[in-house]
Amino acid sequence: MLTELLQGADAGGFVIIQDSIRCSGRHLLKSFINAALNREEAVHVLGFEVDEEELKDGLKGSAIDRVHFHNAYTDPLGWTDHPAFTVHQFCLEELTHLVKQSSHSRPATLVIDSLSWILRHHSPIVVCKTLHQLRKGGAVRAIIALLHADMHQKGTEGSVCHLATSVITIAPGMNGDQAVAKITKRSKSGKVMQDEEIFNINKDFTVTVQSKLGPKNTPTEEKELDPTANLTFNLRLSDTERKAKEKLALPFVFSKEKKTALLHSGPGSGRILYEPDSNDDYDQEDPDDDLDV
Amino acid sequence: MAAPMSGVGKPSVTSFQKKTRSKLISIAGTRPSVQNGQLLVSTGVTSLDYLLGGGLAVGTVLLIEDRYDSYSRMIFKYFLAEGVVCRHELFVAAAQDNPDDILQELPAPILDDIAIHKPAEQPRLSSEPQESLDAMKIAWRYQNLPKVQSALASSCRFGHYYDVSKTMEPEIRQAAKFHRFYVPEHPTQSSSTHSTMPESYSALLKSLQEVIHREGFDLAAPMSNSRNILRIGLHSLGSALWGDDLCCHDNPKNGHSLTTFLYGLRALLRSSLSVAVVTVPSHLIQDRALMGSITRLCDNAIALESFKGSERETNPLYKDYHGLLYVRQIPHLNCLASKLPDHKDLAFKLKRKQFTIERLHLPPDLSETVSRVSRGELSGAAAVASACGSGTSGNKHLDF
Repeated sequence: MLTELLQGADAGGFVIIQDSIRCSGRHLLKSFINAALNREEAVHVLGFEVDEEELKDGLKGSAIDRVHFHNAYTDPLGWTDHPAFTVHQFCLEELTHLVKQSSHSRPATLVIDSLSWILRHHSPIVVCKTLHQLRKGGAVRAIIALLHADMHQKGTEGSVCHLATSVITIAPGMNGDQAVAKITKRSKSGKVMQDEEIFNINKDFTVTVQSKLGPKNTPTEEKELDPTANLTFNLRLSDTERKAKEKLALPFVFSKEKKTALLHSGPGSGRILYEPDSNDDYDQEDPDDDLDV
Repeated sequence: MAAPMSGVGKPSVTSFQKKTRSKLISIAGTRPSVQNGQLLVSTGVTSLDYLLGGGLAVGTVLLIEDRYDSYSRMIFKYFLAEGVVCRHELFVAAAQDNPDDILQELPAPILDDIAIHKPAEQPRLSSEPQESLDAMKIAWRYQNLPKVQSALASSCRFGHYYDVSKTMEPEIRQAAKFHRFYVPEHPTQSSSTHSTMPESYSALLKSLQEVIHREGFDLAAPMSNSRNILRIGLHSLGSALWGDDLCCHDNPKNGHSLTTFLYGLRALLRSSLSVAVVTVPSHLIQDRALMGSITRLCDNAIALESFKGSERETNPLYKDYHGLLYVRQIPHLNCLASKLPDHKDLAFKLKRKQFTIERLHLPPDLSETVSRVSRGELSGAAAVASACGSGTSGNKHLDF
């Protein structure tokens, strides 16, 4: 599923890459930028956390012109007189204006590095509203954001991820250069798909997916221990013995007619006919007559 | 017993009135409850109607909690589709999706009345003994006994079935009257610290009140022959897009805005002929006490837990179902106690033509190596169960 997300098939998508201090997600973010550049799209990066050279490091080629880096690293809060991009400009009108003026006809992808920075200076409600409006607005085709999961309260992180169409959570993998990605994708019809993959990122920022773990590690099936083995007596049946066993009539197996008769017993089928025998003491008189009560 | 009643501008009239004509309103798509005479509407899902005691009572709220909003959205659409088919009026409010888009996705009703609902739960008729006798070799005396009924259904059908793979035809959809409230269309001022509720909630309440009054759903309006029911659907209340920080912060500033809104909503519903279905992303609300008070304020409350993405998806016990359903609350309206469902372990599955809710049966555990998950472990720590199962499964068949 990671490769499908990188290919970015659906418009209006909002991908969140959740990382933590143990494993950074910036390399995966650069892979997404790389993939968008290969698709001939214009990429607008709001850089709050790293500066331009560090972000563009490794992304080579002529496609680099299509990356528009909005420098929010040097002066994000507008303390100097001429800030390049401040965090207060994170609202619908400013962002739409920014995107429209730079990319002329190509679909634009907005990359936010990182959303955690913005969430520290704006309330989550405002951030959610802006992101929602951006998605519906149509100025940007897709939004990819980096979110540091350990910086926020669970509710804030949950609310922002609730808006996203796909959430990729990164954890460190077994080897040094491998990482585990847990992906939750929500399609338009409301269907939710989950996946877990091990991947590593090559030098040119393409992603190789090593293997797919299932949504759950199923415990390996133990070989069924055959209880009839290793015994001093024989529990198995040979073919002739099995045939003889099936031929044996069970004690309470009745014929079909008798079964139907028993199942649907009609009225009056339980009559008892009694013929007094010579041995029976059948006396008409009441035997209790001579009792003196 | 007659009590004298002093009416304004009337001579003293006793409260004893002769029964001149029946006071029961008969509205299409509703029926009185067999338990307490309340007017009921169908939720669109027959099994859910059975769980709620025959249907959703007019004037009450149904709360649906769901983590990923996939199945609760399905029930939401069933509810609205049922309203269209019964010719009720609809009011949809949403913050994330446009209400028009939600209405485009309604499932198509299956209009031929022949039950797709196969009579599998009826006892096998004894008019066909031949084939049935061959079925059981040893236990043939039990053949004519009825099978265990695991699907919840009552004998009389109330509500319609829908085909999820098709959407409702535009002609049927446009026949229904539809009111909408889309939060981005009602811009709020940023400085609203003086109100107890975010602006979107108060705007929604005002809009609801206005619709109820204008279209004549008020109970105070004179009873006429053509009354109708208003079905209200509120999608994803409490999420950040409504302007409420209930889900965002652990200690929300306006912690009681949603509860105040629900209180106002219930007051509106009780005095009008309307029903509401509300979905709330409860997994985002960190304060469990607040979630408890939200549940209390809604009359009916159910929670859906889908198996997608949890360890339970591959558990062989759950392979037939899509998730578990918990009934959190059933109201007792005008009576002392409500009829809770007998079975607490319920599971649901969404088939193309039906959303069924069934009692969860544990199948007989015949294999030695299947890890024996007890009832306590099913609901709670699944991780512990899997650890126990995989670790000691080698010795399992030797335990006594």
